[in-house]
Amino acid sequence: MSNRRLVLAAFATAIVLAACGSEPEPEMAPEPTGPTAEELERMRQDSIRRAQEAEEARLRAEREAAERERQRRAEMSRQTLRETVYFDYDEAAIRSDTETRLRAKLDILRANPGVQLRMEGHADERGTSEYNIALGNERSEAVIQFLTGFGLDAGRFSSVSYGEERPAAQGSNESAWAQNRRVEFVITAGGDGIGR
Amino acid sequence: MMKHRIAVLALTALTGLPLVAAEPAAAQEEAAIPGVQLGLAYENLYIPPLAILPFTGPDADAALVSGVQGIVARDLDYSDRFVVLDSLPEGLADDGIRYSLWDQYGADWVLMGEVETVAGRHFLSIELHDIVFTSVERGRFALPARDDEDFRMAVHRVSDEIVEWVTGEPGIAASRIVFSMRPFGNPTAKELYIVDSDGENLQRLTWDENLAISPAWAPDGNRIAYVSYKTGLPGIYELSLADGSERPVDTGRGGQHMTPAYHPDGDELAFNILGAGLFRYDLGDNCCLVQLVGGRAENLQPSYSHDGDELVFLSNRLGEATPQIYTMPARGGNADLLSPYRFGQGGYFADPDWSPISSKVAFAGGIVRRRVLNRYHIFVADTEVGDNRLRQLTQEGSNEDPSWGPDGRHIVFVGERSNGLGVFIVDSGTGRTRLLVASVEAADTDWSPALGPRT
Repeated sequence: MSNRRLVLAAFATAIVLAACGSEPEPEMAPEPTGPTAEELERMRQDSIRRAQEAEEARLRAEREAAERERQRRAEMSRQTLRETVYFDYDEAAIRSDTETRLRAKLDILRANPGVQLRMEGHADERGTSEYNIALGNERSEAVIQFLTGFGLDAGRFSSVSYGEERPAAQGSNESAWAQNRRVEFVITAGGDGIGR
Repeated sequence: MMKHRIAVLALTALTGLPLVAAEPAAAQEEAAIPGVQLGLAYENLYIPPLAILPFTGPDADAALVSGVQGIVARDLDYSDRFVVLDSLPEGLADDGIRYSLWDQYGADWVLMGEVETVAGRHFLSIELHDIVFTSVERGRFALPARDDEDFRMAVHRVSDEIVEWVTGEPGIAASRIVFSMRPFGNPTAKELYIVDSDGENLQRLTWDENLAISPAWAPDGNRIAYVSYKTGLPGIYELSLADGSERPVDTGRGGQHMTPAYHPDGDELAFNILGAGLFRYDLGDNCCLVQLVGGRAENLQPSYSHDGDELVFLSNRLGEATPQIYTMPARGGNADLLSPYRFGQGGYFADPDWSPISSKVAFAGGIVRRRVLNRYHIFVADTEVGDNRLRQLTQEGSNEDPSWGPDGRHIVFVGERSNGLGVFIVDSGTGRTRLLVASVEAADTDWSPALGPRT
């Protein structure tokens, strides 16, 4: 508002001066009006506040971006923790692809000591149903043993075996069986605190 | 095999030829399971013909009379103790029992029955004539009302009485089979179901919409212990059949409790805690968890011997891929391998069940060939004979979860056939197999003891 006033005042003066040269002075030109002292002080305060607000918004955006990034990384970590691992027929031995996945989990578990996991062991439909529950348990125990072998506290892990009762894939073929010989992971504690 | 080797030795002695030359031929004669003779070695049993005369019932409802006769006739057929003759020629029984006539007809036994209705109460009177020894056995049995849920069971008990008169051994008619099965419409759940020994009266026992597996009958026939995942972790529960009530068996130890089995005295339960071994627990006193088998291997599926002194169980101490069957003293001690095993040849044997009256153990399994075996058969081994000889009771499909009937002769199991899954009963005496429940994906079959009247 005060800027516009200055411009208006200057404009009015220019008109008056231009008029002087061509015609006799018709009337009194309006008194030029500059900002008062109060107005100047207010303007100064306004500009300080605007700068502060801009800085705060910038910081807020940065914090939000950092939080989004943390959330994204935490979600990635949770996905890595939840990633299913697979086993060979009638085996509870850790395969190399399973070891790769377990090592990825290991790093996250080390960095986040509050995280606890439940291992859910499964078997394919071949074999007798009750022995398959024992086999599923051996698979989750093998996973727990792998992780505690790197110094993780065994108290952070629990296990339950479903044997062949909860197949991930239907069908009586090698492709379905391979998907069903597995250990699934459920985060039972500390999932929200990952990366904090 | 042994005779063959003696012959080779004799030949060697006579001719002086080196023994090694004969060895490969001898080795080739090894049966599919090393050191074990397989095949259907059924005893050459004489099965006596039994004629059933049409039951009478002058003052009873005709449908009731023929219904009772139908139940008894089928029970006696299913007992596999008789050749049942129940489509008799006209006039054969018109004039009382003439033993010489029946002898000529070829019947060793003649059964007569009469249903009486006195003041609204039913009675079944039975006469069993022994044609060979010209003697007769008689009995009169009260039957509940026809719409009473114990009606069929009461008739079954009469059938078992007849079997016991003839053989001196218990029958299987008055018994039930419990098993686990996916309920209709819920492919992730398993519930317990119960069915009469003749395939009638299929009923659902649990309604948790969770996993209910591994049922085991108590010796009193009134309770079933089983495993449920309803709390998230598998635990043992005891279900009362009298009132449907249930209690968790809290052994005071954490872990996943599996595969319970009752001691013949009914107060002790043996079971597995996954990864920890075999345990027993006193149900009567609710105390005293005792570890029977420990170690790193999985040890599960215990089953007590008929006298309660021994246990048979599954262990994978020889490797995950070769579960085997072992016996041991019920109070703990050394385990002996019962299933056939030779190093390097593997084998997969599971689901052991000790006969309720003898030293025989039934189990399922087979030799793993190139690790693709998914076909199991039902075998019977005798723990006392100890000659490592197995009898194979099934020949087709794949078969699991054998459980002995109260006669120690019939075995119920889950069979997979080209036309689907089902629950079957095989007679270990004759090899005769019948379908008990068709087209069900059942598991964990367990046969009850002989069931007395409801109390």
